[in-house]
Amino acid sequence: MAEKKSGSHFFDLKIPLGSLLSFYGLILVLYGLFGPRRIYEKSLGLNVNLIWGVVIMVVGALFLGFAHFRRRASN
Amino acid sequence: MDPIISLNLIDYLILAAYVVITIVVGYALKKYMKTSEDFFLSGRSLPSWITSLAFLSANLGALEVIGMVANSAKYGILTVHFYWIGAIPAMVFLGIFMMPFYYNTRVRSVPEYLKLRYNEATRGLNAFSFAIMTLLMSGISMYAMALIFRMMLGWSLTASILLSAGVVLIYVFFGGLSSSIYNEVIQFFLIWLGLLPAVYVGLKAVGGFSGLAAKLPDTFLHAWKNMGSAAANPMGVDWMGVVLGLGFVLSFGYWTTDFLVVQRTLASENINAARRTPIMAAFPKMLVPLIVVVPGLIAVAILPEYSVALQGSATPDYNSALILLLAHYLPNGVLGLAITGLLASFMSGMAGNVTAFNTVWTYDIYGTYIKKNMPDEHYLMMGKLATIFGVLFSIGTAYIVQSFPNLMDYMQLIFSFFNAPLFATFLLGMFWKKATPWGGFFGLLSGIVAAASHYLLYKLNVIHYSSEMAANFFQAWWAWLTDFVVTIVVSLFTRKKAESELKGLVYSLTPRTKGSEMFWRRPEVWGSVALIVMVILNIIFW
Repeated sequence: MAEKKSGSHFFDLKIPLGSLLSFYGLILVLYGLFGPRRIYEKSLGLNVNLIWGVVIMVVGALFLGFAHFRRRASN
Repeated sequence: MDPIISLNLIDYLILAAYVVITIVVGYALKKYMKTSEDFFLSGRSLPSWITSLAFLSANLGALEVIGMVANSAKYGILTVHFYWIGAIPAMVFLGIFMMPFYYNTRVRSVPEYLKLRYNEATRGLNAFSFAIMTLLMSGISMYAMALIFRMMLGWSLTASILLSAGVVLIYVFFGGLSSSIYNEVIQFFLIWLGLLPAVYVGLKAVGGFSGLAAKLPDTFLHAWKNMGSAAANPMGVDWMGVVLGLGFVLSFGYWTTDFLVVQRTLASENINAARRTPIMAAFPKMLVPLIVVVPGLIAVAILPEYSVALQGSATPDYNSALILLLAHYLPNGVLGLAITGLLASFMSGMAGNVTAFNTVWTYDIYGTYIKKNMPDEHYLMMGKLATIFGVLFSIGTAYIVQSFPNLMDYMQLIFSFFNAPLFATFLLGMFWKKATPWGGFFGLLSGIVAAASHYLLYKLNVIHYSSEMAANFFQAWWAWLTDFVVTIVVSLFTRKKAESELKGLVYSLTPRTKGSEMFWRRPEVWGSVALIVMVILNIIFW
């Protein structure tokens, strides 16, 4: 990347964003596994908390992974 | 009235985590705020993936989302015009043609460009109207949002107002534009992750896209087929109104001259990143209908209160369509996530208003008319004070509007007078070197007057339109045309600026630098791809 300046001016947003999403994913998965079942009548029997929790956790982990990778690359 | 949604512990945990992280991010940015450019323009240092998402999110506030879901429940697929023809061409145009003037001249705000290109009077007209409108607007949306939270969760108006204003105040005070932008990026992910489960479950319930189509009338399923005459489609607008009013004047006026969105591009780390910002934002923008138009259609197909309206026998409250749908399909957990997404998008919308206000106030009003040539720390401090003042003023507006709800409509009306013509002033300023300072000023002024007069004539029944929306679209068009013609005519009779003063500000007097980048990174290439995708989408949903 020829146009790159001296690294980002601020801290890397991927870290707080990735942490927030990973946390959301984790508590949704836990709630989906151990929480009440009755509430899924609304969502046509689908355990949305479990499924969507996994998706969000993956998105969050990707952000953290990229941030980690970049930091190592720049060192 | 009972609230529509009841949250439990897990939902509140999700909401609280969001509030905590925004405050932490804002506070962590505090130590980077050394100069006024750090505070107002993020030190012009952000990468384009961040500025693009912020650029897009600035226009994906909770009220827009709720309003567009309502429009979809009312008008069907026609609503995509606000996302495709009403946004993409303007965003691509900004990136390819206008960005070099904004970024390379190092202007710090939209009004400042008007000062360099035209004169102080033109800047003043724009800066004052923008600053006042932005604050009033932020107060109005705070009130509207508080009403929605009361209906949805049963929160009191004061609780919603103080929570959102308090959090926004803290993070903008510490981190300035960077806080605002970082929060917009977080919001972008939350609103998608929050709404997609409802879209998925809703689609499953109606039997997928084909099942959905089978439940809706033909006029709801086509973006252009019924646009031949205003009477043939539910929106009451013909194709010319959509193309000229929405696609050209309103869209270009908003995306290319509204400082709230342009400020995000100015925060980019270099000119190429700045040019890529609106163009890269165009791609996710084209997908937004998935989380706003589809829910609106599902609401009509599934919820009885909206399906009866198809027979024309009732007028339901369309603004609650999204919330009813969320309540209908989402269990606690993902429900809390959706609510957090809405709250986040509301707060970041307000933060956007506050940061745009404090920048214009400090550079274009305070630094120009009140205290010139002070050291930079003085303006940094003024920006922080303006943040406090701006938030307090918004809260005040919210309470005034609460006592006089009619004020809201009048204010929105007045804003539309000021916004519509501005793009003509910019177009001539950037691409016609003979436009003179006073040509610019009187053009803009007469465009505003034209919009106001058009409105009066419409209300007095002198001119007729088939719908309120058609009147809006054509009002924008006539205001634009008036500005365009008056600027040219006045320019022919008033003194020009010397060409040396216009270097870098006007297309024909700016040396074109050949992009050294690989062809797949060039904004022109991506801009063309965006336009082609837009055309294909329009054909698919014709």
